[in-house]
Amino acid sequence: MASLLHPDRVVYLVRGQKRIRAPLSQLYFCRYCSELRSLECVSHEVDSHYCPSCLENMPSAEAKLKKNRCANCFDCPCCMHTLSTRATNIPAPLADDPTKTTMKKAYYLACGFCRWTSRDVGMADKSVGRHLSNFHINGVGILLALGTPQLSVVNLRYDQLSLMFWSILSVAASGGWQEPENPHGQRISKLIEYYQQLAHREKQERDRKKLARRRQCMPLAFSEKYGLGTRLHRQRPGAPIATLAGLSLKEGEDQKEITIEPAQALDEVEPLPEDCYTRPISLPEVTTLRQRLLQPDFQPAGASQLHPRHKHLLMKRSLRCRKCEHNLSKPEFNPTSIKFKIQLVAVSYIPEVRIMSIPNLRFMKESQVLLTLTNPVENITHVTLALCEEDDPDDINSTSKVLVPSKELVLAGKDAAAEYDELAEPQDFQDDPDIVAFRKSNKIGFFIKVVPLKEEDTDVTVSFRMRHDFRNLAAPIRQSEEGGDAAHEAVWLTHHVELRLGPLAP
Amino acid sequence: MADKLNAQKSVKIAAGAVVCVESEIRGDVTIGTRTVVHPKARIIAEAGPIVIGEGNLIEEQALIINSYPENITPDSEVEPKTMTIGTNNVFEVGCADVGRNVILTSGCIIGAFCQVNTCEVIPENTVIYGSGCMRRVQTERPQPQTLQLDFLMKILPNYHHLKKTIKASHTT
Repeated sequence: MASLLHPDRVVYLVRGQKRIRAPLSQLYFCRYCSELRSLECVSHEVDSHYCPSCLENMPSAEAKLKKNRCANCFDCPCCMHTLSTRATNIPAPLADDPTKTTMKKAYYLACGFCRWTSRDVGMADKSVGRHLSNFHINGVGILLALGTPQLSVVNLRYDQLSLMFWSILSVAASGGWQEPENPHGQRISKLIEYYQQLAHREKQERDRKKLARRRQCMPLAFSEKYGLGTRLHRQRPGAPIATLAGLSLKEGEDQKEITIEPAQALDEVEPLPEDCYTRPISLPEVTTLRQRLLQPDFQPAGASQLHPRHKHLLMKRSLRCRKCEHNLSKPEFNPTSIKFKIQLVAVSYIPEVRIMSIPNLRFMKESQVLLTLTNPVENITHVTLALCEEDDPDDINSTSKVLVPSKELVLAGKDAAAEYDELAEPQDFQDDPDIVAFRKSNKIGFFIKVVPLKEEDTDVTVSFRMRHDFRNLAAPIRQSEEGGDAAHEAVWLTHHVELRLGPLAP
Repeated sequence: MADKLNAQKSVKIAAGAVVCVESEIRGDVTIGTRTVVHPKARIIAEAGPIVIGEGNLIEEQALIINSYPENITPDSEVEPKTMTIGTNNVFEVGCADVGRNVILTSGCIIGAFCQVNTCEVIPENTVIYGSGCMRRVQTERPQPQTLQLDFLMKILPNYHHLKKTIKASHTT
């Protein structure tokens, strides 16, 4: 019976760029356009980054610098679970007196799921705890803290300086876990620098040409080729003159040429070991493809070289309607909070149809299906059901004929206090017992008649159109001439609903 | 044949073991000292005796069964083969160690809901974890279960009745 409540049983049609059929729980409703929106008709924007295990928030610039990884948390390289730090007491000689031994705490990383420990790969236990784990690196912040007065250098060489300081501070900040260095790291960073400089120079030339042609303000949006970083090109107020001055300054400073040597092709390749084909493989020592590819810089073949990786950051995203540019969903900034600042989900505006019970469906025989309609808003809603027309282009999935009640169904408003208020009089709706099976606060159960038309093995699907009135509380109340008439105008919205009733009874 | 079937259907529980009454132990089972058997664990020795060593930890809903091989009916002649479970193993919640041909050595950890139906000797210090597929990780040292075992041996008697050794009653 619980499978009748499965969200995929009842889908609503969204008329966006694509025709998307999705359950109401996965849709959003733009109340400015008065239309349903699905995840594909909205634009997704990154709101904030956070680590899923330590729930630490991180500004986007910092996240980009750390390659979207958390500094404190690690993932098990074996099963990708979160690693936890465990402590053991080891006897260690005191610094002053080598003959006496005291118990010192040694920390190691361990996985609770697959029992992997950092000792398996030979990582030494650390004796320093993670006291500095919450130290954030903020470009200007470091320099100010260290007393370096050259603030003007920050904006131009932020990436280089911060890399340098980060490497110094990373040892202290993350508790001193040594991380294997990428053997190609230096070459890669040199290549990146060279190309950044090249792109920068090309852009300068292009802008200078534009300047020569037009003697006006430069276009503010430059296209970035190799990702030079937004800080370099942030527009300050009073832009045109500053940027012109900035260009000449950059020219003067940018004397240092970075040259790279081209990659050299080697003729000789290391030969395979002789017993490559005959040596039996010990499976526990070989890494799986997934484990190997999660570390693309090293791709270790042996399990003894699998080092833990920093945990990947997750992000919170906000959704925006593409037509009217209003926000449909905006989460809270705090990673520990699951609430939303703006949450325009479809279930809180559109009445929801759910299947309650299905009798045995037989080919070409009419049977009654019980559906429920729930009213999510607080005022009375009128719902009319209609059949899809003969040539309806949206009606592609239905395999049966349906007879919907022709009368208008009235749904009471959702009253949160109704369950506690025993003295409330039950509202008096004249319900036709043939159509309305029951009524319970803001929900009614009603019957529809279904005649399956196809004898194949597929599910019987039914589609109809639902028309209801929607009062737009977002629109400003127009000052009517009579004065005092604060009623919002009701807009009638029509939705195409498809139900999947299940297979025919054998 | 009747002799073989009825021989020694007793459960021998050593002195230091903690076996909760709610666990189901059937057949000829020997449990070593310092072993903890949680309630709702099931140890069923149908087709032969099971010998469980010392220092093992068998958690809830774990199933250790010495069952008949599939294609042989129980009535025909079957050699009772002893299933041996070594020392310092951990059987996590819901795992099933089925089969007469699995030999567990010491220091193994069979993770939650993992089925071990194979005919093999599981080497020392193996960890079997993961959903679906069986994956093994060789750890370098046996797990320090002493802390957990001590804790459980103190706490479990506070909340559960324990099974004591049943004296061997049938001899045929």
